[in-house]
Amino acid sequence: MMASSRHGLSSALRGISRRFDGGKWQTLEQQFQSLRLSPSLIRGRRCLSTESESTELVGQPPITAAPEIDVEVLVERYRIAKHARPVPVSPSYFSRTPTFNDRYLALEKLAKTYANLPVIPAADAERIAWKTLADLRQSFGEPVKATDYVKCLAIVKSLHLIHPELKPDVVTEALQEFKRDVQAFLNVAKPIPIDKFGRALGVGRRKSSTARAFVVEGDGQVLVNGKTLADYFGRVHDRESAVWALHATDRIDKYNVWARVEGGGTTGQAEALTLAIAKALLAHEPALKPALRRAGCVTRDPRRVERKKHGRVKARKGPTWVKR
Amino acid sequence: MSAPNCLRGLVRPSATIPISAPRTAAPRVAPIALVRSAPFSTTAINARRQDPNQQGGGGKGHVRQGKKLKLGKFKKNAVESKGKPPLPGERKAYRKRITLSNDNAIPVPWLKDLDADDLASAKNIARVLALPEEVQDQLRASEAFKPTQCWGMFRKPSLLVRKESVDLMNRMQASVDRKQTLRLVVTGDKVTGKSMMLLQAMAHAFLNNWIVIHVPEGQELTTACTEYAPIPNTEPVQYMQPVYVLKLLQAIKRANEKILAKTYTVSGHPELPQNITPNTPLLALCNAAKEPDSAWPVFQALWNELTAQGANRPPILLSLDGLAHVMRVSDYRSPAFELIHSHDLALVRLFTDALGGAVHFSAGGAVLAATSRNNAPRSPSMELSLAQREAEQTAGKEAAEVPQKDPFFRGYDDRVEAVLRSVQVLRLGGVSKLEARALMEYWAASGMLRATVDEKTVTEKWTLAGSGVLGEMERAALLTMRI
Repeated sequence: MMASSRHGLSSALRGISRRFDGGKWQTLEQQFQSLRLSPSLIRGRRCLSTESESTELVGQPPITAAPEIDVEVLVERYRIAKHARPVPVSPSYFSRTPTFNDRYLALEKLAKTYANLPVIPAADAERIAWKTLADLRQSFGEPVKATDYVKCLAIVKSLHLIHPELKPDVVTEALQEFKRDVQAFLNVAKPIPIDKFGRALGVGRRKSSTARAFVVEGDGQVLVNGKTLADYFGRVHDRESAVWALHATDRIDKYNVWARVEGGGTTGQAEALTLAIAKALLAHEPALKPALRRAGCVTRDPRRVERKKHGRVKARKGPTWVKR
Repeated sequence: MSAPNCLRGLVRPSATIPISAPRTAAPRVAPIALVRSAPFSTTAINARRQDPNQQGGGGKGHVRQGKKLKLGKFKKNAVESKGKPPLPGERKAYRKRITLSNDNAIPVPWLKDLDADDLASAKNIARVLALPEEVQDQLRASEAFKPTQCWGMFRKPSLLVRKESVDLMNRMQASVDRKQTLRLVVTGDKVTGKSMMLLQAMAHAFLNNWIVIHVPEGQELTTACTEYAPIPNTEPVQYMQPVYVLKLLQAIKRANEKILAKTYTVSGHPELPQNITPNTPLLALCNAAKEPDSAWPVFQALWNELTAQGANRPPILLSLDGLAHVMRVSDYRSPAFELIHSHDLALVRLFTDALGGAVHFSAGGAVLAATSRNNAPRSPSMELSLAQREAEQTAGKEAAEVPQKDPFFRGYDDRVEAVLRSVQVLRLGGVSKLEARALMEYWAASGMLRATVDEKTVTEKWTLAGSGVLGEMERAALLTMRI
């Protein structure tokens, strides 16, 4: 019930806000201004009410006050029992999951209390990584039900949408317990700058190789550790994978590359270069990201050499079978 | 199938019945069941294994059942013979064969044959031109083609005219005009077309009626793989390589037959097996060498005739590939078992003298050498000298620092430095994109490159080939299989 009214309000606000400043949430003054009734309407109603008042006043008997209320008499009359059983403070005293239940009830109460506060569109709210069911069970040490978790998280998310300027501290504190310890969304990648010479520096890694590639606008020349591509990579395959990012986006004749590579073998170095060049290219043309992702140049390949295990010759190779 | 076998098959349908089996124990019907129906096996060994009932029928005798002591447990099975092994030298001949045309390649309609002055004109830069039939034969005779080059992919052997080749031909032409000798070393990175540049120079020389003497591999002279003998009455002792010289003479004769027939001796050579009088064609002089024994004197006589002063001679091109091999101490030993310096081998000395500027051709000419990056020994003096000459050449444009000798290094060779003191150096690198495009269009027209040749493809191959190194472009575009 409360949710529907709040949604109605918020959607009304959202419509207005979209009209005015394209998706950005408004300040509170703007929001309230849109809710205020027009003065002409108010004046009209007042006129009507005064007229009715004047007609009703004619022929009314004089008003007499009600007798005084005796509280003690009332208490005596309406008492149900002389003694009452003591009730636990927490309503979840008898449940298996008191900690979670308490939080849940508190959140419900908060939601009811602050149902009428203005909210912002979900897209504009700060991104928060909420605890998963497993995390929640771990942190409360209780067997939380999945359905309860879903309901609870719905409330958490709706409370999170309250306008940040009006959000009460109690709500912020209550939500704190449902946030994950590590907030991945706070970890924002630093944009790669293009320096005054027009170079963008990208760094890529693969296996145990590291590549740093400076990409500038040019005509397709590539230097790796001071050598040409053909000098540095003997295999044609490695050369192709080194410039794969440029090849896949048809930019091979538009940029020059100067790169330092170290560590690992030829394949690792070539594929580290792929990543480095792709990142530097993204600094020049961010719109290429989907194309590069389709070409497999954006994600770092996390595979490393698998460690050797005892009782095995290598990571997995079994020792030779010997009879007896 | 021999006739007796066939007949026996007709007479006795069950040939596998043991003769010794008693007729009474084996009634007439039983053998029919014993007759082997077609076994499902491809080899004789497996066929035997499949048929346990067969005993003695194949004439092998009794096979003992049960456990057996295997003595030759670790002996590998004898390798089955797989036909006749190739004859000695056959594999090498297959490896070294040179195929100059491919009938499956599409003939390129716009391909034009080379003319005498095509390689020297700048308007032909970044064009592909074909070698005329006659020049092909001459080049083949002088072993200018190499098995590692991709001649066998196209209908006709063709050349890409580069900026450097036009430059080289113009220098050669200029030196002939001034009746001087161009002495030049072609150097550069791996597969940048150094041997091909020599081939272009030779093609140009053949087309302009020069006499061409080409040593296809410097290493054949110095790695002690051909016979040698001291030349009498030389101080210090020089060595001739009669077998190689005979081969070279025959190559010269075949390659330059027409011109040698029109060129005549100026002096007599009574010391040769055939008495050569003045005014004999040089072709007859070449023919005088029938045996390795007489090869070196004949070659020397030919060389003296070619370099005779005041005589009417065509321009001469002397070229050698694999310079580093002749710029070091050879693998030959003197009678005192000391290593012989390459420049003490008479043929090598003849070349190095010419490269050093000691020889004057009456009508001018060129002495060209190309370095090699495959299987080349380190020759510090040669590397240093070439670097110095190159720095001196560019010194006019920008003050480049001339590299100096390392004072703490002992491996330098004065004789090598003396030879390379005044040569010109032509350094080859990658081709420009325009030239790369011309070449790729030729590949595509021949049906060897199955892609649209546009800016993107050209730049891609050009980049993959390390800024247009020709051999790497071939590798990236033609020789790498794409599935």
